[in-house]
Amino acid sequence: MRAARLVAAAVITVAVTATDIFAAERPAVVVTSGKEQKFSVALQKFAGGPDAEAYREGLAAALEFSNLFRLIDRKAFLGQTTTQTLATRARIECMEWSTIGAEFFVEGALRVEGGQFVAEFGVWDLVGCERKLRRRYRQLSSADAIILAKRMADDIVEVLTGIRGVTSTELTFVSKRGGNSEIFVMDADGGNQRAATANRSINNFPSWSPSGDAIIYTSYRVENRPKLFISTRGRGKPGRILSKLSDMPQYRAVFHPDGRELAVVMTPSESTEIYRVNLNGKNLRRLTQNRSIDISPSWSPDGRRLAFVSDRSGSPQIYLMDADGSNARRLTFDGDYNTNPAWSPDGRWIAYQGRVGGQFDIWLIDPEGSVNLPLVSHPRNDESPCWSPDSRKIAFSSTRRGSADIYLIDSSGDDLRRLTRSPGDDTSPSWGPYPR
Amino acid sequence: MTGTQEISIQLGGLRRRELRRLFAISVTVHLVLIAVFGFSPKSRISVPRGVIAVELVSAPAAARSAAPAAVAKPAPPKPKKVVLPAEPTTPKMQPKVVEKPPPVQPTAAPETEYEDVLARLRAESGEDAPPTEIAKAAPTAIGSPGSPDGVAISPEVAAWLKRAKIHVRKNWVVPPGFRTQVLEARVEVDLDASGKVRGNPRLSRRSGNPWYDEGVIRAIQKSSPLPPPPEAGKWNFVFMPEDSY
Repeated sequence: MRAARLVAAAVITVAVTATDIFAAERPAVVVTSGKEQKFSVALQKFAGGPDAEAYREGLAAALEFSNLFRLIDRKAFLGQTTTQTLATRARIECMEWSTIGAEFFVEGALRVEGGQFVAEFGVWDLVGCERKLRRRYRQLSSADAIILAKRMADDIVEVLTGIRGVTSTELTFVSKRGGNSEIFVMDADGGNQRAATANRSINNFPSWSPSGDAIIYTSYRVENRPKLFISTRGRGKPGRILSKLSDMPQYRAVFHPDGRELAVVMTPSESTEIYRVNLNGKNLRRLTQNRSIDISPSWSPDGRRLAFVSDRSGSPQIYLMDADGSNARRLTFDGDYNTNPAWSPDGRWIAYQGRVGGQFDIWLIDPEGSVNLPLVSHPRNDESPCWSPDSRKIAFSSTRRGSADIYLIDSSGDDLRRLTRSPGDDTSPSWGPYPR
Repeated sequence: MTGTQEISIQLGGLRRRELRRLFAISVTVHLVLIAVFGFSPKSRISVPRGVIAVELVSAPAAARSAAPAAVAKPAPPKPKKVVLPAEPTTPKMQPKVVEKPPPVQPTAAPETEYEDVLARLRAESGEDAPPTEIAKAAPTAIGSPGSPDGVAISPEVAAWLKRAKIHVRKNWVVPPGFRTQVLEARVEVDLDASGKVRGNPRLSRRSGNPWYDEGVIRAIQKSSPLPPPPEAGKWNFVFMPEDSY
């Protein structure tokens, strides 16, 4: 009897093993990504208030900016086009929305409560028919409601991809639209462009502080010599910093990721060198020590290394060095002019402008130098790349339409967008951090 | 001592009996194996052996490593010295040439210069308070460890693999940021004869990014029913972004 049981067990074992062997032999379906697949979203007009339609439009635009969503035309809706009350698990009609091709359903309600504008919304996953997200935001009712719509869109992106969207971030850049080189600020989608300086001098190389509180830039406004100033988002009077550092010209500065130090390009003699210094001007250290020109510092996200440009090999090339100036090594070897490196916030890539065939294009290289490829190429010049805080987009200036304008492109090379259309040159973009 | 010997003898007796039983089991197992492999009119996969598919490879790891990538080739430094303009592009911004490098002597600046300027600017600009959130929901990770790969493919299976790939790809959303990463997930999907997904797809190899993995599962769920497979049962799907450098 016991022997019979053992035999039965053995037979079963053999049968299961044989099944596994055959299952393992089955070839796998290898699925590679197609282009331009997006999540289909049914977005209701939110309940409440005369501004609900404008709010919906703002949210729709912010969702589309992420290049992740396709909004379904409301005319196709089988259900309500406007939220009545926020759905619950018991009441949601997922089929009603998935039938029209929606993968996600977004509903919401707006109201003013005690001087505050309150926006509450829910995101439903229609594939599993479950709620992905439900949040409520408040801000002063006098503030722009679209700020909340953008914040909502960014949070929806985060829930679906693990990294917050960047619609509610800002860029700073240099514009000559008024005849002089002034510092400007705009929203990440190109909206709300405004001047941060108006001193009729030369202002250049704006760069954000990691907290987003300040933009540091170089200005010739005092004695016509390049010195460092800070400003805030186009409001308030700019103020000079490092005023007593030394008499050396200060050409460009970028914040260390911890926000407590700067890498500054200065000219001690006939060469141009990179320094580190505390924000209060103390603890100045020279990082580059040779007679060549060393410029364009860009910190690694961990603050332990710097990418920079040097002509020590005979032509401008991208180099890396440790944050104390040691271990400098050349990173780029292709092309005779590579400059303006920008280290991605996720640390994976260094974007730079490289000249091939007489034109500057935007290239990507990994910090090990093993992969080097053009991101975007055009017969006109593409210059000065900078990364969005989610490392998914790159802003750069391009003369492809005549005068220089600021453009965006996904780090995959898709979704090129033009952000500025001013008559003067718009150059030197720098992408700000996430708002707090 | 004696006790030990007795126990050994007993064990020996037990071993002999056990051996006889195991021999019987072994004979039975072999008979069963011969029945399954030797006399079965049709193996579980109706695939003529030795046929190699032309287009699709069932070894995704190899496919990934073969992904083309432009590699920076070290080149000798250009002999010609190119003069690099200083950061600013206007003549006024050219670095000043001096006879001797002046010693860098940072003068002590007021501790609070940066903070003072910033505080004044913030006070002047009166920035709005950021929105506050009161409830949060986070996506959950799904999955389990991986399994190995298979081999030869018949034209019939290859055709289905291609149809299945095209069908699933249409339903797979790869966020822009994921396309530049090397991410690979493997999912085991139980398909019925009509191509309908039975039960929940199982992640047999995670990519390391739970959002990517969730998107992969989602793509399978959205794809149901798939084109009818050559045979009902468990099929593996490997997902990888094409653009990963």
